[in-house]
Amino acid sequence: MPGKVVTLEPPAETLAVRLYLPLLSGMALTFRKFVSNVLSRKARPTIEYPEERRAYSDRFRGRHILKTREDGTLKCVACYMCATHCPADCIHIEASEHPNLAYEKYPTVFEIDLLRCVMCGFCVDACPKDAIWMTKDYELSFFARKDAVYGIPELTEKPSDAAPDGPGYGYRPYYGESPKRKAGQFEPSGLAVLPMTLARNAAINRMPPPPPPKPPAPAPPKPA
Amino acid sequence: MSATLAPSAGVTFAPVLERAFPDGAVRVEPRPAHDVPTLVATAEAFPAAARFLRDDPSTSFDLLLDLVAVDRSRLDGPPSCRGEERFQLNALLYSTKRNEHLRLRVALPATDPRLPTLVETWPASNWFEREAWDLMGIRFDGHPNLARLLTHNGFVGHALRKDYEAGQRWLCTDEDVLQTRLAAKTDLPEDVFETTTLNFGPSHPATHGTLRIVVRLDGERVVAAESECGYLHRCFEKMSETHTYTQVIPYTDRLNYCSPMINGAGYARAVEQMLGIEIPPRARAVRVVLSEFSRIMDHMVCIGANLVDVGGLTTFWYSYQAREEIYSLLEACCGARLTSSYARIGGLSMDVPANFVEWCRSLSRSVRDRIDEVDTLLTKNRILHKRMMGTGVVTKEQAIAWGFTGPCLRASGVGYDVRKDKPYDGYDEVDFDVPVATAGDNFSRFHVRMEEMRQSLRIIEQVVSRLPGGPVVSDDYRVVLPPKEMVYNEMEGLIFHFKNVFEGIQVPAGEVYSFTEGANGELGYSIVSDGSGRPYRVKVRPPCFPLFAAFEKIVVGGLVSDAVATLGTLNIIAGELDR
Repeated sequence: MPGKVVTLEPPAETLAVRLYLPLLSGMALTFRKFVSNVLSRKARPTIEYPEERRAYSDRFRGRHILKTREDGTLKCVACYMCATHCPADCIHIEASEHPNLAYEKYPTVFEIDLLRCVMCGFCVDACPKDAIWMTKDYELSFFARKDAVYGIPELTEKPSDAAPDGPGYGYRPYYGESPKRKAGQFEPSGLAVLPMTLARNAAINRMPPPPPPKPPAPAPPKPA
Repeated sequence: MSATLAPSAGVTFAPVLERAFPDGAVRVEPRPAHDVPTLVATAEAFPAAARFLRDDPSTSFDLLLDLVAVDRSRLDGPPSCRGEERFQLNALLYSTKRNEHLRLRVALPATDPRLPTLVETWPASNWFEREAWDLMGIRFDGHPNLARLLTHNGFVGHALRKDYEAGQRWLCTDEDVLQTRLAAKTDLPEDVFETTTLNFGPSHPATHGTLRIVVRLDGERVVAAESECGYLHRCFEKMSETHTYTQVIPYTDRLNYCSPMINGAGYARAVEQMLGIEIPPRARAVRVVLSEFSRIMDHMVCIGANLVDVGGLTTFWYSYQAREEIYSLLEACCGARLTSSYARIGGLSMDVPANFVEWCRSLSRSVRDRIDEVDTLLTKNRILHKRMMGTGVVTKEQAIAWGFTGPCLRASGVGYDVRKDKPYDGYDEVDFDVPVATAGDNFSRFHVRMEEMRQSLRIIEQVVSRLPGGPVVSDDYRVVLPPKEMVYNEMEGLIFHFKNVFEGIQVPAGEVYSFTEGANGELGYSIVSDGSGRPYRVKVRPPCFPLFAAFEKIVVGGLVSDAVATLGTLNIIAGELDR
C-alpha cells in the first residue's frame, strides 16, 4: 500500500506565536476541563480509590485460587505442570496418594510465594485439570515475608471469591477453538513430528546399559 | 520446518566483495531465507571488511545496529566450537541508503578473544563493545574506555559465558570510579576558569530513578559528560537461557515497560520465524492494533514525562489519561494493565473480547481527543519552542553514526521505519505515512512523536475495520498449548500439552535476527537455538541503548537544563536499556 515519508515543518513563527497567543487556547482548555470536572462527577477521569474501584474484566490476573470438586476436595492432582511452567519458580508442591482411589494423587503441600509471583497466568494455562484459576483480587500486601506464601488453606476457593461483593473470578483456562468442533474429528496423525524431537525421544527411550557387576564388598575389619 | 539454505540470498554485492577480498577472507555464509544475509570474516580481515562495508557505494552499511557476542562452547558442533572458534561476534548492520540488513560475523578463540575496535568505523559500537566485554569477555584493542557497562566494577567474570553459573552473585563494594575518572579528565579548554563535577542521577527526577550522568560544568554549560547505565540490569539475557521459549514472554513485558505489547509480539515473531510457522491472520491483526496502541502509550508517556521534566505538569495529566484508557483495553484482552504477556509463540493467549472492534473505535476517538489536547497545549507554545528548538541537536550524519533508529532518527531527517521499509504483520496492507523532521533538535523529536501517534490511529482504524475472524493461535500443537477441551478429554491433547510444558517448544537449531519497529526504534531479537526447549542465546537490541550511549556527546556544549530536555525527548526506558 502506498504511503509516504512526510517532512514535518516546524510551526511557523507567526505574530500570534511570537506574542504567545496560542497559550490562551491552552489555558482555555485547562479552564474548560477544570469547570467540567468541578461540575460533573462523570467527567473526571480519576478514581477515588479505595472508596471507588475500577471494574476489571473477567480475565484479570490477581490472586490464585485452587478449584474444588463437588465434594470439596481439591481438583489438583499434583502433576507439577504449573510449577514447571511457572517462569518465576514460585509454586511449591508436595504430592501424596489420595485415600480415595478415584482421585489417585493430591497435593499435601501447595504453596505459592506471592512475592515471587509475576502474575503471568501461566499456571492457569498449564493446568490440565482446570484446578487453578485466578481472581480479581489485587490487594496483596503483607506484614511479613512468610505471610506472602499462600498454602492450601488460603488458596482453596471460598464462597466469598465468587460472591457479588467479592473479588470475582479472573483469569481462567481458555477453551479456544476446538479442532473437533471445527473439523469434525481431530486427527493427531496428520501432524509431523520434529526430527530433533524424534532423536531426543529415541535417546530417552534407549535402555541404559546394565550396570557392571559390583566387586564383592571387602569384609569389614574385625574389631581389635 | 527445515528452511532451505539460500547460498547468497540478498547479497547482491558478492562480486564486489570477492574483488576486494580475493583470498576468501570474507565469504558469504548460506542462511535460511528468514534470517538476514551473513558474511563471515577472519579476525585479521574483520576491520578492513567493516570499513569496506561502510564505505563502498555498493554496500554502504552506514548504521551499526547491534553487536551480538555468542559463546558457542555448549553448542553441538565441531570440536573447534570449544577451542579456536569458541566465541562469535556478530555485527548487525543496516544500510540507510539501500534498505538492507547484514550480519558480519567473526569467530574468536577461547583464550584471550580480542579484536581491534570498531569505534572509528561506527561510533555506535562504543557501548556495544563495552557490553560485549562486560558480559562475554571479548577485548577490543584501541577502545577509548573498555570499562564494564551493565555490571558493576567489582564484578568478577563475564556473566553470559556458558561456564558462568546463572545464580552467582557479586556484592558491589567498589568505590565510585566514574566520578573520579571524569574529574581527572584533562582535555578541557585552557581558558576554563573554574569547572565543577556534578553527579546527576541515578536518584534524580529527570533520570527517572535509574540513569546516571556525571557532568563537568563551566557555570551552567556542560563541558564534558559521561553517562552510566546498569542500575536496572536484571540479567534478562542470562535468565532467558534458563527458561523455556514460552517462559521468556513475561520477561519481555519488563523490557520496555511503556509498551510491553510490542516487545512480546516482537519476541514471539522471532521464535515463529525460527520455527517457520505462520500465525492466523486474526492474531496478526490484533497484534498490530495493540502494538500501535502501545506505541501511542509510549509516545504519550515520553511527551508527558518530558514536559514534567522541563516544567509543564499539565500535559502529563492529559497524556496519561490516554494511557490509562488504553490500559483498560489491554486489560480486557489479556488480564493485566501493564505486564500484558499477551503474545504467545504461535499467536495470542486468548481471543479478544466480543466488543473489541467497537471498543477500539471509541478508544481511538477518545485518544485522538487527547492527542488534540496535547497538541493545543504544546505545539504552538512559544515557551516550549524556546526550550526545545535548537537544543539537543543531532545531525543526520551523527544520528546514523551513533546508531539511532525510530523517532529520534526520523527527527534527524532519515525516513527509516521498519513498518514501512521491511513490512511485517501486514503493515504493507495499510496506508500510513512516516513523519520525518529535519532539524534533529528536541522539538523535532517531540513533533515526530506527535505525528506518529496520529498515524498509529490511522493504522488502527484501518486494521480494525477489516479485522479477520477465526482462531488467534496456530493449531500446531507442538508449539501452542492445545485447547483445554482437548486437554481435558483426549489423550493426544494431553500428550501435546505435557510435552509443551515440560520440554518447551522444540525450536530447530539455528539463528535468527528478527526486528520490528518498537516505540523507540528498531527492536531486534537475535536468538540462537541449539534445538532444545530453551534458547541458547537471546540478545535484545534495545532501541534506546545507542540513544543513551550518544547522550553524553549530545549534551556537551549545551546548558545542563537542556540536558534534561534532551534526556526526555530521547525517551530512554531503563528497562530495555539495562535489560
